[in-house]
Amino acid sequence: MKHIFQHPPENPTGRKYWRSLGELADTPQFREKLEREFPAGAAELNLDGVSRRNFLKIMGASTALAGLGLAACRYPKSLVPFTKSSEWQIPGKALFFATSMPRRNGSHSLVITTTDGRPTKVEGNPRHPVSQGGSDTAAQASILDLYDPDRSRFFLAKGERSDEAAFNEFLDSHLETLGDGEGLAFLLEEHHSPTRERLRAEIAKRFPKALWAVHEPLGSATWRQAAEIAFGSEVLPVPAIEKADILLTLDCDILGTDQRATSNTRAFADRRRVEKPGDQMNRLYVVENRYTVTGGMADHRLRLPASHVGEFALALAEELGVSTGVTRNSAATFPDGWIRELAADLKAHAGKSLVLVGSRQPVAVQVVVAAINQALGALGQTIVGAPASLYPAPALTLADLAARSGELKTLVILGGNPAYAAPADLQWEEKQKAIPTVIRLGLWEDETSQAAQWHVPAAHYLETWGDGVAADGTYLAQQPMILPLYDGWSEFDLLARFAGQPKPTGAELVQETFRNRLSPLDFDTAWNQFLHDGFLGNGFDPVTISFTGSIPTDGFLTPVAEGDFEIVLPADAKMDDGRFNNNGWMQECPDPITKTTWDNVAWVSPRTAEKLGLRQEITASEHPLIEISVNGHTVKVPLFIVPGHADHSISLSLGWGRRTVGRVGRGTGVDAYTLATAASPYVAVGAKVAGTREMFKVGHTQEHFSMEGRDLVREADLPHYEEKPDFVKSMGGDSHMPDGGYQSLYSHPKLEAPNQWGMAIDLNTCIGCTACVIACQAENNIPIVGKEQVLMGRSMHWIRNDRYFVSDGNEHQDLHQYPDDPEMVMQPMMCQHCENAPCETVCPVNATVHSDDGLNVMAYNRCIGTRYCANNCPFKVRRFNFFDYNERPITPVEVPLLGEVNGLKLGPLTKKGMAPTLKMQKNPNVTVRMRGVMEKCTFCVQRIQSARIAQKVQAGASDDVKIPVDSFTSACAQACSAGSIVFGDITDPESRVSKLKEQQKNYRLLEYLNVRTRVSYLARLRNPNPKMPDAKRNAATA
Amino acid sequence: MSNDTSTYERQLAQVTPEPLVTNNRSVQWITHHVASIVETPTPLWWWIAFLIATPIAGLGLFCIVYQISTGVGVWGENHPVGWAWDITNFVFWIGIGHAGTLISAILFLTRQAWRTSINRAAEAMTIFAVCCAGIFPAIHVGRVWFAWYLFPIPNADGIWQNYRSPLLWDVFAVSTYFTVSLLFWYIGMVPDLATLRDRAKSKISKYAYGVFALGWRGANRHWRHYEMAYLILAGISTPLVLSVHSVVSFDFATSVLPGWHATIFPPYFVAGAIFGGFAMVLTILIPARLLYPQLKDMITAQHIDKMAKIILLTGSIVGYAYAMEFFMAWYSGSPYEIWVFLRNRVADPFIFSKLFDVPPAPYWWAYWAMIFCNVAVPQVFWFKKMRYNLWVVFIAVNLVNAGMWYERFVIIVTSLHRDFLPSSWGMFSPTWAEIGLFIGTFGIFMSLFLLFMRFIPMIAMSEIKIVLPEADPHHHPAPTGAEGDAKEVRH
Repeated sequence: MKHIFQHPPENPTGRKYWRSLGELADTPQFREKLEREFPAGAAELNLDGVSRRNFLKIMGASTALAGLGLAACRYPKSLVPFTKSSEWQIPGKALFFATSMPRRNGSHSLVITTTDGRPTKVEGNPRHPVSQGGSDTAAQASILDLYDPDRSRFFLAKGERSDEAAFNEFLDSHLETLGDGEGLAFLLEEHHSPTRERLRAEIAKRFPKALWAVHEPLGSATWRQAAEIAFGSEVLPVPAIEKADILLTLDCDILGTDQRATSNTRAFADRRRVEKPGDQMNRLYVVENRYTVTGGMADHRLRLPASHVGEFALALAEELGVSTGVTRNSAATFPDGWIRELAADLKAHAGKSLVLVGSRQPVAVQVVVAAINQALGALGQTIVGAPASLYPAPALTLADLAARSGELKTLVILGGNPAYAAPADLQWEEKQKAIPTVIRLGLWEDETSQAAQWHVPAAHYLETWGDGVAADGTYLAQQPMILPLYDGWSEFDLLARFAGQPKPTGAELVQETFRNRLSPLDFDTAWNQFLHDGFLGNGFDPVTISFTGSIPTDGFLTPVAEGDFEIVLPADAKMDDGRFNNNGWMQECPDPITKTTWDNVAWVSPRTAEKLGLRQEITASEHPLIEISVNGHTVKVPLFIVPGHADHSISLSLGWGRRTVGRVGRGTGVDAYTLATAASPYVAVGAKVAGTREMFKVGHTQEHFSMEGRDLVREADLPHYEEKPDFVKSMGGDSHMPDGGYQSLYSHPKLEAPNQWGMAIDLNTCIGCTACVIACQAENNIPIVGKEQVLMGRSMHWIRNDRYFVSDGNEHQDLHQYPDDPEMVMQPMMCQHCENAPCETVCPVNATVHSDDGLNVMAYNRCIGTRYCANNCPFKVRRFNFFDYNERPITPVEVPLLGEVNGLKLGPLTKKGMAPTLKMQKNPNVTVRMRGVMEKCTFCVQRIQSARIAQKVQAGASDDVKIPVDSFTSACAQACSAGSIVFGDITDPESRVSKLKEQQKNYRLLEYLNVRTRVSYLARLRNPNPKMPDAKRNAATA
Repeated sequence: MSNDTSTYERQLAQVTPEPLVTNNRSVQWITHHVASIVETPTPLWWWIAFLIATPIAGLGLFCIVYQISTGVGVWGENHPVGWAWDITNFVFWIGIGHAGTLISAILFLTRQAWRTSINRAAEAMTIFAVCCAGIFPAIHVGRVWFAWYLFPIPNADGIWQNYRSPLLWDVFAVSTYFTVSLLFWYIGMVPDLATLRDRAKSKISKYAYGVFALGWRGANRHWRHYEMAYLILAGISTPLVLSVHSVVSFDFATSVLPGWHATIFPPYFVAGAIFGGFAMVLTILIPARLLYPQLKDMITAQHIDKMAKIILLTGSIVGYAYAMEFFMAWYSGSPYEIWVFLRNRVADPFIFSKLFDVPPAPYWWAYWAMIFCNVAVPQVFWFKKMRYNLWVVFIAVNLVNAGMWYERFVIIVTSLHRDFLPSSWGMFSPTWAEIGLFIGTFGIFMSLFLLFMRFIPMIAMSEIKIVLPEADPHHHPAPTGAEGDAKEVRH
C-alpha cells in the first residue's frame, strides 16, 4: 500500500481559499484522491515538455531548499521498509527535526539531523532565543548515549532477564496492592515537563499519600532554597548577564558547569565583542578556588578556597554597607584593597552590576549575595524574576526519602542513579535494598538497577515524546527521532501506568498537555507548528523581584585554616554527575582546564603539591597518588598541579569511579561522592591528605602550559588597544615582516572558485568549553582511541583547545616550576587551511592537495600514511590512524600467557567490526577512516559540498553558482554558543567572517613561515580596573 | 759513510710506498687463499655466527609482520613525533651503504689502488645495508599495500605522484642507487665467479658459478668490455654517491620544521654517510681479518690507517656542520630555530643549561652522545699509533656507528618533539616492536654478510692482482730478500 500523506488541514482562520470545488466540499472521495501518493494512472502520465532529468533536478533543488524547518517527525508507528518510505525521505538526504533535551536548568531546544531515519547530529535550535543555534558539550555528546551498545536492553526482575509482559503482569497486580499510596514513593530527576506535572497530579489523585522526591546531585535544590528565603516562594532569580557591565562571580562557573551555562555564554560573549576602538565590553571579576572556564575569562581573578567564599561575600557586603548581622571568621583574609576597589566598581555601576554565587555554595552565602544584589540595585535590572510556578519541583530530596525509607514499600526511580550519586553518609544503597519493591527506569543497568527488584530499560530522549520548559520559560517540544532501539519505556509510559492509563502509543499525553495549555482552535496546525518550531511562546514575563528575606546567621562553611585542607567536589565538565561516564566522546574529551582524559584527578595548587612534597612528571604522564581521607572515607587519586588553584584546597570532580558501568566507563577515575555528605555535598573541610609513593599514569592531551614567549595568543588591555588598535601587527614575528609581505618560491594554482572558505576565531569570546571538540567528533566520525593511546599522544580530535597559562615570571615546567597565580588563555586549534600549505608539498602521492575554493583537502583513498605531512605541519593538527580505531577493540582483551592486552595491539587476532548501533551514528557523508590514513579538519567539506550541490541545482544553466552568504557553517562554529568561531566566504565582503577578518586585531599564526593560513584569530582583550591592586599590565608593548 | 748509507736508506724507505699486498704474495697465492675461503668446509665459527644472526633476523621479520598486520601504532610514534626510529634507522643504514660505492666508484676513478682489497666486501656491505634501509621507508607507511602509489604506474584514479615531495625523490634516489650498486658489484664479480667456476669440484657449484659467471673466459675482448663497463658504471655511480644522501637530506632540509630546515644538510649528510660507511667497513673487516688470517696480507694495517684518516676527515666535516647549524640558528634570530638547538638539544643539565639559564633539554643525552661519538672520538686518529692499534680502531669505529645513529635520532626526534606550538609538544619512547625491528635488521645484515663470505670471494681477486708488483710491466723480482711465493710468479 502506498503511504498515506497526512496533509495538515489548512488554517481555518480568515478567508478560506480553495483550489477546487472538491476541496471546498472536502468529501471523503476528494481526500482519498489528495492522499494518494500517485494519482490514478500516474504511471502513464506524460510529462509534457519536462524531461526526466529536469524533473529530478527540480525535485533535488526543492528538497535541498527544504532544509531546516520541516514540521514534525512523520515516522509511522511501526517499522516500514524503505521501499515504502515516509514523507520527505530521500535516501541519503538529511532531514532536520526540532526537539528538546531535558536538562535540569531548563530543557535545551535542539534541531536533530537525521539521515535515513537515523539521528546523527545534535545542534542547538537557531530560532530558539536561549540557544540561538549554540549548544554545549553535553548536548553534543548525548547522541552517542542513544547508540551506546551498553545501554540496557532487557527488563530485569531481581537482576534476572525478564520481559515486558512479565513486568506488565507484575505492575497490574502490584498497582492493586498500593491502596491510597501509603508507602509509595517516586524519585524523579530534575527537569521541568508540564506533562510530567500533569501525570503527577493524576497519580496524586489516585494515590494521595504517595511521596514525591527529586534527586539531582548537581541540581538546584540549594539554589531554590536560598531563593525562597531571599525572594519568597513565588519568584526565582534569573541573571540577565547581557545587561551587566560589571560582573562578579563567587565560586560560580557561569560559563561552564553552573546553571544555565549555554545561555549565559551567549549573553556574556555578546558583551565581549569589541569590533573597533571605543566599543565597550563588560568587566568580569572572578573569585574561585580552581580554574574554571569562567575564571579564564576573568579580568580580575582571586583564587580563594571555596570555604572562604562565604566570608568573602560577607566582607563584600560589609564594604557595600549591607548589614548581615553575621560575625566574620577571621581565618579568611583577602588581599589588600581587592574588596575595597571591587566594591567601589560595583557601586559605581549600580543597576548595571551583578554578583553571582555558585548554586552549590551554602544557602546562607547565597542569601548574602542576594542581599548584595539588592543593595546594588541589580534586582529587576541585571537579575529578573521568573515565576517559580514555571519550574515546579517536588519539595522532598533524597535525604528526606532516606530518612523515611523504613516506611517505604514501593519506590519508583525514574532516571538518575542515586545508588551511585548520593552522598556517602546517606547510605542510600543499603536503604534502597531494604525497600520491598523498587522499580527502576534507567538507560543503563547501573548501581541503582542492581539494588532494584525491577529494572525497566528507559528510552533515550531522542526516542520519546515529551515536553519541557526552557531556561527562558518557553514551552519546548520533544519528539522521537527514531523508534526506541531497545524497546525502552519513557518516563511518561511508566507514570501513565501508575495514573491508571494504558501505556501511551504515541504523542497523546503530550498532545493533551498541549491542548490544555493552548486550547487551539485548529489543533493539528498548531501542534504541527509547535513541532516544526520546537518551541512555543516568547518566554516568561519578568515578575517583580525584591529581597524580602533575612540573612541566616549560621550555615556558613568554616574557612579552611592554614595547614589544613578542604576538599571541593565540583561538577565535572564532561561527566556531569556521572551520567556521561559510559560516553566515549566525553571520556576522551580533554578537560577544559587540565586537558586530562579518562580519569579525574585531584587538582592542587603548586604550593600545595610542594607542601605535600610531591612532584608530577607531566612529560611522562606520571602523577603521584595521594590519599584523601574525610568524613570517614578515603580515596586514592592522582595529584595534578593546576596553576591558579587556591592553596589549602583540593578539587576532585564528581561523576567518576562508577562501580557498575558499561565497557567504556569501567575503571575510570575515582568516586568522589564517597567524600560528600548530605549536609555539605560540595565542600568537605578538615580532610587528611597524604602522599604515597605510587605513581599513576594520567592521559592528558597537552603537557606544556607555557606559551614560551611565542606570539600565539595575542592579547592587550582595553586601554592599550584603544591607543594602538593594530597592536597585533607589532607582536612577535609579525613585527619583522618585510614590506609587501613574504614571497613564495613556488607558483601556486589560482584560487578562483566563486566561494573561498575561511574562518575567524575571536579569542576574546572563546571560553574554551570544548563543545566544538565534541561537535566535530560527532559530525566527522572521529573515533575514540582509549586511555592507553591518549597516553601515547594519539588522540584523534580534529579540533583541540590549546590552553596556556600566562604569568609574569619565568617558570620552567621542566624544572617543576609552576606559576602560582597565572592568567589563562584558550586557543581553538584546527587545520589552518594554509594557502601555501607545507603538508601539501611533501606528500609523495598527492593525497593532500588544495581545492580551488581554498581548502586543504585529504584524499583518504590515496593516502598511504607516510606521516610526512604531519611532521611538516607547523600547527600539528594532522591526526594519524595508528591503529584501526574504528574496527578493533580499544579495551583490554584477555590473552593466554600475556594477561590483559589492549585490543588494538592484537590487531588481526581480535574480532573486527563496530557495534551496529555505533554505525548508525556515523555521518553518512563522511568517510570512516581506516588505519594507516592521515586525517584532519576539512572545514566540514561535506557541508560545503551539499550547499554547493544545492546551489548548482538551483543555478541550472546560469552562472549563479555562488553559495549564498552565511547560509551554512561548520560543525564547530555551529556548536559554539559564544559565537567565537565564525566560518564563511572570505571573498564576500558581506560575510560575517570577512567582517571579522577586517578588524585590526585580526592576525594569523606563524606568519613568518608564509603559509598564509585561512584561519585567523582575533586578539584577546582584557578590561582590568586600573585601581585594583592586581591591575597589571597586559603585554602588547612590543 | 756507513752511517750516511743507512740514513739514505731510511729516507728512501720513507718515500717508497708500502706494498699494498704484504709478504710479496704471488698471484696464485691470492687466488688460492681467497678462493679457499669459499671452497673449504664451513668452519664451526661460521655456523655459530649464522645461528645467532638468523634468529635475530627472524625477530626482525616477526616485527615486520606484526607491524604490517596490526598498524604503525605498535611503534612508539605519536603526534607530534610522526617519524622516529623508522626513519632514523633508514638514514642510518643508507648512510652505511655509502662507503661501498664510494670505494668502488670514486676511489676507482681517482685511481686509488688501495681500494682493491676492500671494495668487494664494502660493496656487499652497501647492498645489504641498502636492503636493510629499504625495509624502513617501505613499512613505515600506514598502508604498505598501497605503497605502489609511490611509483609512476598508470592507475585508474588518474592521480600522478607529487614531484615536489622529497619523499618521492627519495624513492627514486634510493632505488636507483640500489640498482646501480648491485650492478656494479655484480659486474666486478664476474671474473672472480669464473675463477670459482673453474676451480669448483662439485657439479652444483660449477653450474651455479657458471651461470653467474656469464661465460667468462678471460679473453681479451672480455677484459676490454669488462673494463669499459666497469668504468661506465663507476662514472654513473659517482654522482649517485653524492646524490642519494643529498636527496635523503632533502626530506628534512625542504621542510619548514626548525632543526630540519637547513641548507647545510646535503654536504653534511654526505660527509656523515661516508664517515659512518667507513666506520662500518672497518667494523666488519677487522674481525674478518682475524677469522681469515690470510686476509691480513691483503687488508693490511695500511688500509686500516687510510680508512681511519678518512673517518677523521669526514668526522671533522660533520663536527663543523654541527657547529655551523648551531651558529645559523643563532644568527637567524628566529626564536623557533634557537629553541630547537638550545632547548631541545644542547642544554645539558651540567654546563649549558646553567650557562644559558634554561632547563635541560629532554633529549640532551642523545645530542651529547652524538657529539662525543662523532666529533670527539675520531680525534684519536690524529695519532698514527692509534690508527695502527686495532683495538682502538675497532672501539672507535663502533662508537662512530652509534654516534651516526644518534645523529639521525637527534635530527628527527628532537626537532619534532617540541616545535612551533607548545600545546602539542610531546615525548617519544620506543616500543619493543621497533627495538626488535632495529636489532632484527642487524640480524638480516649479518646473515646476508655471512652468506656472502661463504659463497662469494670476499676480495676482488682479479682486481687486487693488478696492484701486485708483478702487474707492473717494469717489475723485476728483487734478487734477494724476497720471501715466499715470489719465485713461483707466472704471468
